[in-house]
Amino acid sequence: MASLLTHFRSRLALRAAASIVLIVGVLGIGFLLLAVHLRAESEKDIQQLRLEGLISTVERTAQIACFLDDSQLAEEVAEGLLSNRIVREARLIRHDGTALADRVTAIDHGSGAPLTRTINSPFEPDKAVCKLTLVPDQDWIDSMVNDATRFLSVALVLQLLGIGLSVILVVFYFVTRPISDISQKLHAIEAETGKKLSPPSGHARDEIGRLVLSVNAMIDRLVSSLSEERRQRLAREVEERRYRTIFDNVEAGIFELDDQGWLLSANPAFCRLFLKGKTPDPAGPPIAFKTLASEGGPTTQELTSRRARRDSGREWEMAVGEGSERRWVNVMVSHLEKGRLQGVAHDITERRQAAEAAERLAVTDPLTGLGNRLGFERRLGIIERYCRLHPDRQHALMVLDFDHFKQVNDIYGHHAGDEVLRQIADMLRDISRRHDYPARLGGDEFVLLLDHQTPRTDLGGLAQRLVESINQPLTLEGGQQVQLGVSIGIAVLGSDTQDIQTLVYMADQAMYRAKREGRNTWRFHDHNTTLTSGSPLLSG
Amino acid sequence: MTRFMRLTRVATVAMLVISTTARADIAIVINDASSIRQISHSEAVNIFMGRYRRLPNDSVALPIDQAPLKARFYKALVQKDMAEINSYWARLVFSGRASPPQQAGTYEDLVDIVTHNNNALGYVDATQMPAHMHVLLTLSE
Repeated sequence: MASLLTHFRSRLALRAAASIVLIVGVLGIGFLLLAVHLRAESEKDIQQLRLEGLISTVERTAQIACFLDDSQLAEEVAEGLLSNRIVREARLIRHDGTALADRVTAIDHGSGAPLTRTINSPFEPDKAVCKLTLVPDQDWIDSMVNDATRFLSVALVLQLLGIGLSVILVVFYFVTRPISDISQKLHAIEAETGKKLSPPSGHARDEIGRLVLSVNAMIDRLVSSLSEERRQRLAREVEERRYRTIFDNVEAGIFELDDQGWLLSANPAFCRLFLKGKTPDPAGPPIAFKTLASEGGPTTQELTSRRARRDSGREWEMAVGEGSERRWVNVMVSHLEKGRLQGVAHDITERRQAAEAAERLAVTDPLTGLGNRLGFERRLGIIERYCRLHPDRQHALMVLDFDHFKQVNDIYGHHAGDEVLRQIADMLRDISRRHDYPARLGGDEFVLLLDHQTPRTDLGGLAQRLVESINQPLTLEGGQQVQLGVSIGIAVLGSDTQDIQTLVYMADQAMYRAKREGRNTWRFHDHNTTLTSGSPLLSG
Repeated sequence: MTRFMRLTRVATVAMLVISTTARADIAIVINDASSIRQISHSEAVNIFMGRYRRLPNDSVALPIDQAPLKARFYKALVQKDMAEINSYWARLVFSGRASPPQQAGTYEDLVDIVTHNNNALGYVDATQMPAHMHVLLTLSE
């Protein structure tokens, strides 16, 4: 039943035929009922006429039979009438009401409306002699009517079937078959190849042909738009491959972050820079960008603040890794879209190292490797700022002046003088602790800037040790023995003065005092000493 | 009305017969000895067409045909020609219920039969009225 219904829904011809058969059927039943009614009426009339005809046929004989009161002849007449199946009973009744003849057949059948005719004398037409009554056989009349009706019904049903079949055939031939033909072709067609549908034969100029034309036009449009799309996709793929190649091969690290600072994606260069070449596992634990930096770099707050989103691009320098593997990376982060940041990272280790080396070179004395005047001044600047913040911290400055150094140069030559300077520098370096800063300001002018933690008593011991070690004879490369003397002046920032320039001056004065008071010794700054004599070390 | 018409016609015919006797009416006649003085046209039809053979006085009626006058007689009596009359009798031969009148070949034969049989009825041309006969009914043509 369900499959029949499906069949019905999926077959146009069947549906059209069913609809037409239904309509024709309803109309047909109406017409049939009318026709049957009319036919039954006319059949009754026909039967009536037949009865009349029968009576007319036997009238003359009946007249004679009645005229002569001949019951034998009358019986003959009645028998003759009964031989017609339409007649169930034939009666000839005399004037006095007695029956001249009365014959009945098919007793079990029903009676119709009787037909009575007055029979006149054959010789005197105005003189009635008896009455002839015919009772029709209703059953037989009914069966005749039924026969006629049945014929009509059968004819109508056959006509319906014929119409239905014709409609199925016509619809199938003119509509369904071409449509399913087109459908199959359309199914099998490969539109990309630009193939077209051909209209079913004989339908080139009708609606189906026009349908095919429309479909072909649609295929055209589809194909052109498809090829356009394919062309665009190819171009896009090439573009994407290009960018992908750049992304994969570029030296700069390229990465994406979400708005919480979590790493979303990274190119190989980024992985080399930050992850020691490991590719981040998408399924693994997320990596916070902040944790990649060992020093510097943006905080999560900086990355995700509203201002960060607004700014087009910001830069940070950050260190990755520790020790010898420590690399410096410049990171530039810009806002890509909502919740997405894009960053570019450059390895700036070399550049930074070069800058640092240049910086170091600028503040280093090339002969001894100690700090030079520029380095000393910078360090003084740093200490000055530091002391302004922490006035209780006491830094000491020692100024060294050698006795008879000029003679060494004069006697042994500049080369030997340099050798002596280098050895003295080594001594200073040996005696210096981690945060102390020894420097050669030029010629034989050495200073030692000491860490703030050194107590005043220790300063004295330190100076004494320095004097003693310098007093030891120095052996030059040529085997010559040289002995130098040294005078050391000491001033302490914080206790002696708060001013850097004054500190240098005070240490200088203390050095001169040591020189005056016998050489080869050391002196603290003394408030009683005049501050006017001597020339300042830091003359510019 | 019709009766009046017929009476008128009969009267006219009678006047014509009386005045001229040339025009031939047909008269149904019976022996003078019979007590029957007249019969109706209907009785004449019944007797001659075999419905019953009985006179008004209940005596048996014996109708006689006269061959030369037969066609004229039946034409006048029942407005039928001989073929119809013959066909009528032929139809009744087998039932035996009725029989045609006795046949008289000639006028003389008829006169002879009627003269000798008081119940015999015959018909003659009104112009040839035999003696000792009584006219029961005159049929005008």
